[in-house]
Amino acid sequence: MTVHHHPSDELLTAFAGGTLDLGQHIAVATHLVGCPRCRTVVHAMEHVGGAVLADMPRSEMLPGSFEALERRLGEPIAANRPLPELPRRGFGDVGGLPPFLYGYPDSSWRWIAPKVHLRPIRLPQPSPTRVFLLRSSPGTKMIEHTHSGFEMTCVLSGSFTHAGGHFGPGDFDFGDGSVDHDVIIDSTDDCVCLVAMQGDLKLSGLIGRLLQPLIRM
Amino acid sequence: MVSKISGEAAPDGARWARLIEAIAVDGDREAFAELFRYFAPRIKTFMQRSGASEQGADELAQDTLLAVWSKAELFDPRSVGAAAWIFTIARNLRIDALRRQKRTPSDDTGGAELEFRLDEGPQPDSGIEASQVEARVRNAISALPDDQLRVIELSFFQERAHAEIAKTLDIPLGTVKSRLRLAMARLRNLLDDFS
Repeated sequence: MTVHHHPSDELLTAFAGGTLDLGQHIAVATHLVGCPRCRTVVHAMEHVGGAVLADMPRSEMLPGSFEALERRLGEPIAANRPLPELPRRGFGDVGGLPPFLYGYPDSSWRWIAPKVHLRPIRLPQPSPTRVFLLRSSPGTKMIEHTHSGFEMTCVLSGSFTHAGGHFGPGDFDFGDGSVDHDVIIDSTDDCVCLVAMQGDLKLSGLIGRLLQPLIRM
Repeated sequence: MVSKISGEAAPDGARWARLIEAIAVDGDREAFAELFRYFAPRIKTFMQRSGASEQGADELAQDTLLAVWSKAELFDPRSVGAAAWIFTIARNLRIDALRRQKRTPSDDTGGAELEFRLDEGPQPDSGIEASQVEARVRNAISALPDDQLRVIELSFFQERAHAEIAKTLDIPLGTVKSRLRLAMARLRNLLDDFS
């Protein structure tokens, strides 16, 4: 898999810093699963985080903090247990997703437009960003749309093309209000993407306005 | 127990790595105390800047050090620098604490730690020693001009980082973005040799 489109450095830094909301985190994590280059950047940014932490000014600990902590050192440590095994249920059937999604509640595909199906990913945490899988058949021309917020798209299989280029498996696409999406699915198989979206789609044209209520999630 | 580590504490990744290994191998409490003295007050500042109360930040600093103690055996100095490893522990605890604040515990899904685990096996070996990455990152950021360093630092704190940074530094959003881009480009130049 050759990845051509990556998240911005700012986005990778925010990921490493742990400041993304869960929906955005999932979109970037999905890209990282398939992109060693960006994993290296995130790893380097975690080292920047380490340097930032090591250079923080000191805030004196409250009296007795160390003694309180020392008493806990002898206790059996729950945190030391290995991370839970990740049964492949829920989204375990979808290739290319980060393993922590496997345990999320399953959901089924639903029709949202001709040749387009959507499968919501329900987050265990409230997040201003919604996440879903989108499956489109070959040749589908997506409805022209812009965004009131932003949209992050990770290609899991298949491919699409818009004015910004050609996007295949592993590629990451960031769209905001400045982008008027006119997308065509140009793979021979279905194109499956993970999408993280804030705000609403704004569909253009009569068909779009008729579909708008159906597409609201 | 007498610590096998001797000498004065210095802000030095190699020394911190040895301290963590002494905890892993010998349960060395003096090594732990030294790490506590250096990191706990700095983690506390980190947590307070992330919005924790003084009490809350103190507890999160303690929890971070407790995790350093209990996970010391998992620390692999060949794959990650000591400060970066401690940073990721603090970061994950901060995320989980913010969620608890909003009364939305995530215990059932494994919490933030799991969300940063991207593959099921060990991380691929990049062939580069973590100590080299660490040293180069430190050099790179010490070479950054102050204004660029500030935006890099701040981007490790707030959600909606850029707008908040602009407000904190009282500069336009566009300036934050261009400084961050400049800083990132300089860091990337220094780090690109890795890939």
